[in-house]
Amino acid sequence: MNTSIAHARPLEPTAADIEKRLAYVDFGDVERDSLKVIAPLVTPSVEALTARFFEYLGKFPEAQALVRDPVRFETARRLKREHLRAMVAGPFDQKYVADRLELARVYAAAGIENRVFIGAFQHLISAIGALIAERAKTGDAALAFKSFMVLQRIAFFDLTLITDALVSERERTIRQQQDAIRELSTPVLQVRDRLLIVPLVGVVDSHRARELTEGMLRAIRDRRAKAVVMDVTGVPIVDSKVANHFAQACEAARLMGAHVILTGISAEIAQAMVTIGAELEGVPTVSDLQDGIEEAEKLLGVRANGAAA
Amino acid sequence: MNLPILKQADLLIVTLPESLTDGDWRALKDELLARVGKHRSRGVVIDASVMDVMDSYATRLVDSMARMLKLRGASTVVVGIQPGVAFAMAQLGLKLPAAQTALDLDEGLELLRR
Repeated sequence: MNTSIAHARPLEPTAADIEKRLAYVDFGDVERDSLKVIAPLVTPSVEALTARFFEYLGKFPEAQALVRDPVRFETARRLKREHLRAMVAGPFDQKYVADRLELARVYAAAGIENRVFIGAFQHLISAIGALIAERAKTGDAALAFKSFMVLQRIAFFDLTLITDALVSERERTIRQQQDAIRELSTPVLQVRDRLLIVPLVGVVDSHRARELTEGMLRAIRDRRAKAVVMDVTGVPIVDSKVANHFAQACEAARLMGAHVILTGISAEIAQAMVTIGAELEGVPTVSDLQDGIEEAEKLLGVRANGAAA
Repeated sequence: MNLPILKQADLLIVTLPESLTDGDWRALKDELLARVGKHRSRGVVIDASVMDVMDSYATRLVDSMARMLKLRGASTVVVGIQPGVAFAMAQLGLKLPAAQTALDLDEGLELLRR
């Protein structure tokens, strides 16, 4: 449980993490000085570069959710302008990182994939490279090339942050969805006196099987059920573990004096179960829910008649 | 501990307490086997509703008791196993093959009177 909460938190690198990330791309004090050469080139062109970046990004259908949404688009443009100013000036501190991550989250919210974003980012860096190359014609070409390579390091530093953020954002979404699915209660429905239906939908893991069985057993006691029809039409995978869970649920219900009938095992699942040797020993199964209910009513009917007579 | 065994027409009813010692189990078994013969009982209802644990030992004792009672001509119904207990038993693979099971005393009596 704790680990999933830790994973669900958005990425927040500490100052030490940032130092490490800068060291990974071999960015130090010398490089910081070199950037000063580029700053006067890039800073006046921030508007133009930003426009170019989004124009390029906007060509891809995958990025439409960003460029068509005025609020998101404005946020992204503002952050990109700040990015361009900061990436040639620094400081590369927690504020810089936080801004990068914020922009990454804007991309993630707009559903922009890594590959699309990285493509556009490389276009942007090429554009800056072109600016530097243009200036180098009249100046020191070697120095211009060197400073561009320094900029490259910062670009890769940004990439490590943004890809991590996009990945962690996606993991967070997956985790949230998993939690949501897990929390979806499995309803136990009463069809008629002493007859319950448990329609199962989704993957059954150990945790869910436990909650489901407990819920079913409580319902058997509280509603005095004699028959339970468990419908597994919506369960995509039945392996030996899941089969074992079903068998346990049926056995537990039997100990409380109720009969469980399993329905809805598809042709594919039946074949798969036999092939892998997953057994449902002692669990009566019928083809579909309708048959299951009829079977259960037969069971109840016989008893009801016996009691009435 | 002297457990009260109730006689109701041709049935016997006993409620298991929260826990029993080995001696209690033995006494209960001897008493039930004797009373089944004495009252010519057809069935025995064992109420387990206050037990919050049925381990493999208890399960085996109840099951063998049911088998012995069967040899004396009485069928056994275990009633009132609580959800948590039933689940734990199923997880441990514990079964009561010799006894029938029912939700509560009402159900158990009905099952035996059929």
